[in-house]
Amino acid sequence: MLEMRDVSKIYRTDAVQTHALRGVSLQVSQGEFVAVVGPSGSGKTTFLNIAGLLETFDGGRFLLDGNDTANLSDSARSKLRNEKIGFIFQGFNLIPDLNVFDNVDVPLRYRGFKAHERKQRIERVLELVGLHQRMKHLPAQLSGGQQQRVAIARALAGEPRFLLADEPTGNLDTQTALGVMQLLDEIHAGGATIVMVTHDDDLAQRAQRCVTMRDGAVQSDRARAA
Amino acid sequence: MEFGPILRSLARNKTGAVLIALQIAFTMTVVVNAYFIIGDRQARMQRPSGVAEETLFHLGSAGYTTNYDAVGSLAQDLQLLRSTPGVVDAVAVNQIPLDSSGWSSGAKTAPGNEHQSVPTAMYMGDHRTVATFGLKLVAGRDFTEADVRDRVPNMRGWPDKLMVTQALAAQLWPDEAPQAVLGRSVYIGDEAPATVIAVIEKLQAPWSGWSQVEQSVLVPEKLLWPSVNYMVRTEPGQRDALMPLVEEALATSNTQRIVSAPESMDDTRKRSYALDAGVSRILTVVMVLLVAITALGVIGLVSFSVRRRVKQIGTRRALGATRADIRRYFLLENFIITSVGLVMGAALTVGFNMWTVSALGFPKIDLAYVAGGMLLLWVVGLLAALGPAQRACAIAPAVATRTV
Ligand SMILES: Nc1ncnc2c1ncn2[C@@H]1O[C@H](COP(=O)(O)OP(=O)(O)O)[C@@H](O)[C@H]1O
Ligand SMILES: [Mg+2]
Repeated sequence: MLEMRDVSKIYRTDAVQTHALRGVSLQVSQGEFVAVVGPSGSGKTTFLNIAGLLETFDGGRFLLDGNDTANLSDSARSKLRNEKIGFIFQGFNLIPDLNVFDNVDVPLRYRGFKAHERKQRIERVLELVGLHQRMKHLPAQLSGGQQQRVAIARALAGEPRFLLADEPTGNLDTQTALGVMQLLDEIHAGGATIVMVTHDDDLAQRAQRCVTMRDGAVQSDRARAA
Repeated sequence: MEFGPILRSLARNKTGAVLIALQIAFTMTVVVNAYFIIGDRQARMQRPSGVAEETLFHLGSAGYTTNYDAVGSLAQDLQLLRSTPGVVDAVAVNQIPLDSSGWSSGAKTAPGNEHQSVPTAMYMGDHRTVATFGLKLVAGRDFTEADVRDRVPNMRGWPDKLMVTQALAAQLWPDEAPQAVLGRSVYIGDEAPATVIAVIEKLQAPWSGWSQVEQSVLVPEKLLWPSVNYMVRTEPGQRDALMPLVEEALATSNTQRIVSAPESMDDTRKRSYALDAGVSRILTVVMVLLVAITALGVIGLVSFSVRRRVKQIGTRRALGATRADIRRYFLLENFIITSVGLVMGAALTVGFNMWTVSALGFPKIDLAYVAGGMLLLWVVGLLAALGPAQRACAIAPAVATRTV
């Protein structure tokens, strides 16, 4: 379970202070598919970054699986990210010099899995996203949708507790976006917990639960009508 | 270890890596060979001349008047020198070790043209030469006053007794112990033979660059020439103060000749090896510069590679890489590049040395130098990569979601 209580975040630059989050409280339980929507600048990415331990916060509490994350060392946070979180980025963030296989391999190596286990996992997740025929391809040789599928496979390979996606379809055309959404739905159906930031209301409607953010706070938090 | 992915990633971005590897190979070749050459020069520069250099200085006296009294001047000069407080002894000789000008001749063990002669420097001086120079005899006895003959200008031939250096004895009578060559005959040129009465441990010729620099003969002669060199032995620590005093005293005692500026044996040695010292200095500068440039090249390459991969680093961190993982990645990548360069460098180094051996007659390189060069540049490469690698691991994980 992912639990935020009154979390705030302030970005300080020389000239200005930006209150990116102003007391966000939110719980995400095992198996949920939560969409986070809201206008640009409302703090969605900031929320996701804190949830995924990419950034620290200034006030409130954040518990990941019941553990307080406030005082973790940098390497402890890395380890938690590696084991519990799977990230999916708007820009796919595949490593351009590595082929599909090696890209999916990246988090597994940091996990310290043995080669044969990594290979098994990579083949399984690539099969799941339908790209097991493209293992030797470089990212540049794939379409945007395929690249995002590789990224999803990479996020899934370590069997994380949470999948965090920041505008995963933001760089894709509608048709491809739907395909990726379908894939996420399937993954959710398979038992995964997903938090997805999106600005596309249609896509948000597909989620079980929709959280709307505005000015760094949760404006509404609705379950989808059954 | 992420050896495989790093190699595959490198293979797709070869240019910079290959250039740096080549630079490292080149640097290693130059540095190791230069270091080896410097070592060789230093060893040459450290060879003892056989004389007590730290208590010796020399100066020249050249009579210029037509009726110059060489005999009287010599006696008067030696008397003056030997009675100067602080002077231990002084002799008139035809040449000074390492002084770069002097006499040489050929020595052989039998007369006639069919016998190969061995080149040797020819020292002339009276029975106090061995003591004044501080020579060590390994066999035989010193000259006595009775052994000494007068040498006047334009005289031919040699005295009937002489001393040889060990090195010359080894050339003339290979495999003979010094003791065994006493009493043997030596033919200098085509003159009557002289008998070896002593073997000198070491007395270098005036020419430090001569390959036979250790081969010398000393004959017992009193130089009745208008122009002679005085070698002066002083008490320890008094030489440098005595030099100007002696010069002044000689110059004023007899105005019919010119006294040349005295020079300590230390300065003579410096002058003799000036080229070697200069070459060593230049090579050292070249070595330091090349290593510095290579280090800068490595810093540049790693920095560039970090800057090009900022987003990738953020992504890796987001996927679970610790700072240490990121640092290790760049150090390992650089280690691979450096190692490729050093392996090429080792081959080039040995190849270049083989060329200097065959073309220039340089000595064959000791492989320890090659290993040392590799170790040095490995460390330099590692240290150079450390800064940029440190910057890489300071890149925030949030870069993954914040950059497009
Ligand atoms: N690194 C940063 N430094 C300063 N301000 C930032 C930084 N990142 C985000 N912000 C600001 O925080 C606010 C929330 O940003 P963000 O979470 O990215 O919003 P969203 O993802 O909803 O568009 C914005 O006003 C943004 O300008
Ligand atoms: Mg955003």
